[in-house]
Amino acid sequence: MDDYASSDDDYNYSDDQDSVGDVFANDDLDFPLVSSKGSTTQVITKESLLAAQREDLRRVMDMLSVREQHARTLLIYHRWDVDRLFGVYVEKGKAFLFAEAGVSVDECRDSSSLAYDSVMCEICMDDVPIEEATRMDCGHCFCNSCWTEHFFVKINEGQSKRIRCMAHKCNSICDEAVVRTLLSRKYPDMAEKYERFLLESYIEDNKRVKWCPSTPHCGNAIRVEEDDLCEVECSCGEQFCFNCLEEAHSPCSCLMWELWVKKCRDESETVNWITVHTKPCPKCHKPVEKNGGCNLVSCICGQAFCWLCGGATGREHTWSSIAGHSCGRYKEQEKTAERAKRDLYRYMHYHNRYKAHTDSFKLESKLKEAIQGKISISEEKNSTTVTDYSWVNNGLSRLFRSRRVLSYSYAFAFYMFGDELFKEEMSEDQREIKQNLFEDQQQQLEGNVERLSKVLEEPFETFKDKKVMEIRMQILNLSTLIDNLCKTMYECIENDLLGSLNHGIHSIAPYKSRGIEKASELQVSWSNKANNTGVTAEVERPEESGCSSRKRARKEGLGGGFFDLNLPAEFLDRN
Amino acid sequence: MIDFARVQKELVECSKDAEGSGIRVIPKSDNLVHLIGTIPGPIGTPYEGGVFQIDITLPEGYPFEPPKMQFSTKVWHPNISSQSGAICLDILKDQWSPALTLKTALLSVQALLSAPQPDDPQDAVVAQQYLKDYQTFVNTARYWTESFAKTSSRGIEVKVQKLVEMGFPEAQVRSILEAVGGDENLALERLL
Repeated sequence: MDDYASSDDDYNYSDDQDSVGDVFANDDLDFPLVSSKGSTTQVITKESLLAAQREDLRRVMDMLSVREQHARTLLIYHRWDVDRLFGVYVEKGKAFLFAEAGVSVDECRDSSSLAYDSVMCEICMDDVPIEEATRMDCGHCFCNSCWTEHFFVKINEGQSKRIRCMAHKCNSICDEAVVRTLLSRKYPDMAEKYERFLLESYIEDNKRVKWCPSTPHCGNAIRVEEDDLCEVECSCGEQFCFNCLEEAHSPCSCLMWELWVKKCRDESETVNWITVHTKPCPKCHKPVEKNGGCNLVSCICGQAFCWLCGGATGREHTWSSIAGHSCGRYKEQEKTAERAKRDLYRYMHYHNRYKAHTDSFKLESKLKEAIQGKISISEEKNSTTVTDYSWVNNGLSRLFRSRRVLSYSYAFAFYMFGDELFKEEMSEDQREIKQNLFEDQQQQLEGNVERLSKVLEEPFETFKDKKVMEIRMQILNLSTLIDNLCKTMYECIENDLLGSLNHGIHSIAPYKSRGIEKASELQVSWSNKANNTGVTAEVERPEESGCSSRKRARKEGLGGGFFDLNLPAEFLDRN
Repeated sequence: MIDFARVQKELVECSKDAEGSGIRVIPKSDNLVHLIGTIPGPIGTPYEGGVFQIDITLPEGYPFEPPKMQFSTKVWHPNISSQSGAICLDILKDQWSPALTLKTALLSVQALLSAPQPDDPQDAVVAQQYLKDYQTFVNTARYWTESFAKTSSRGIEVKVQKLVEMGFPEAQVRSILEAVGGDENLALERLL
């Protein structure tokens, strides 16, 4: 079953309704009609929620020749996993698939009671005129007011996605069109709620789709195509790990990150403040607070020292000579030190470095503004040799990206080489070898990140062209180098460290050179706004669903309004 | 809003058949929200001969929400709390259907008395006993039926009093009566 072909039909059909020229003249359509397939993650907004589920619904409808409501019931039952649903279909057959999910397709039409004018409703035990009673697909017939109360109670109980028939032991799911129609007569608010629950089932019950964790909530959800182990940026700007919904934390695994966050929170505030915000100057011993981006700090007494290890240093220490910069290496305390104390020192060592890079990252974010200023000054010089300054921004992005990797790599190392998670995994010797390997790579990365940070802070707007070109080359080279170092470090983590674990699986989101993927907007290729809240199941208005209503739907948005879930599919079926 | 018209009809329907099924539902007060149901202990079970009272409270959404039922007669059963009388029965929870009635629900409770489900217990102590020491369970259940579910003329207290008057210590009388399931003659044999 080729789902792309079927969705193409959609678009062709809608194009037929419009004049072709109209489509292209429409300034709303400055994006391709087909949702972009290049990206592996997509933002689903309130507006595109309907379109997002259409493809899955259509696949099921086409495959099994069922109506949309039945396709939805099946999909909700199988948590929107189309492949699993088809698997059950192939293995156990259609009858089983339907019965299991509670879909009855016109099997037990019993026309005997239709001969009478009235039926006895077994719920309220009253005789009601036949037109005030409704027979569900499963064949059970009750009066409309009882059905309505049943729906009301079930939706209040939070069971709106699977409202079962009222008959005892009947597993059949109520026809959503009937629910909609009957509810909207007496409880329009509830009908609206029901509608929303059905729509949002696509997010709530789907492992490929999750709500963006932003607070206040942006209203968006993110859909990933293949691997749910990835980091993603929502269109609202929130970056998060799709797997655990916490902030993006690669190369830490989700479990490591959870433990790390908890540990950082639990350590006493005072210790944190002292160890994190200040470093004593190695010469005058005054606590020094860092206020600039790079990790080479100068005290007011004139002494330069490394912010990472607090050691006095020449200006060579932090960025120029990688070989000399060995403070990222963890030195084991003396054997006599008490274990608890050692653990604390160990934690502080990693936490200080983690925090240092996180803080640098925050300070460097300020750098972004400064750099924009420098770029505009440079551009005004109208230099003939240097016209394009995109390399500055690229370098800056590289810096931000690698800073994050670097800071999380310390939390990673804390757990990777500690006893908490992997004590049983490797012998002391193995651990030492692995730790050395990793720390070598980490240090190389660290040294180059600092160098890049420093180069980026150069006042290049005041330099001559030749010097600017030199800086440009430096930034380009460093960026490439850092990118490669990140890749190598990830390879080491994935293959040599996490890959060789015997117990437990720690997977991390893969390294992406271009940074955390921005989820692309899922384009609304077909949204339809029903005219009012009194939507009935039988609505079919092919003429109205052309371009004009589509434009209107998009312009008005769909907030507070009603999706008519049935409409497009129903009339597509007839074509 | 409770559908009182339906409750009214249910009561009429139930009383029509009260002789046959032995199941009765009567209002506790005149507002029909609180009712009392009675079921006879099923024949061939330790509950045989007992008459069990069940407190029924109708929720706002009745019959779309299940009625709340709880034994007011003490009963020894894996799925019924020996402390509170709470009943663990699926149709009183998520398997409730508006098409069920108070009578059908009580019939299900009665069926539960005949077919305990020790794997899904309400009272863990009873369930353990049921699984590990079935005979003791039967004896205890019968003793509780004798003690609490029978009219006082045949009640256990009378037997206790009788045996105590014969000169046996009360504690011993009670434990032996419990062990033999309330049978006065068996108890006397043991005491002698």
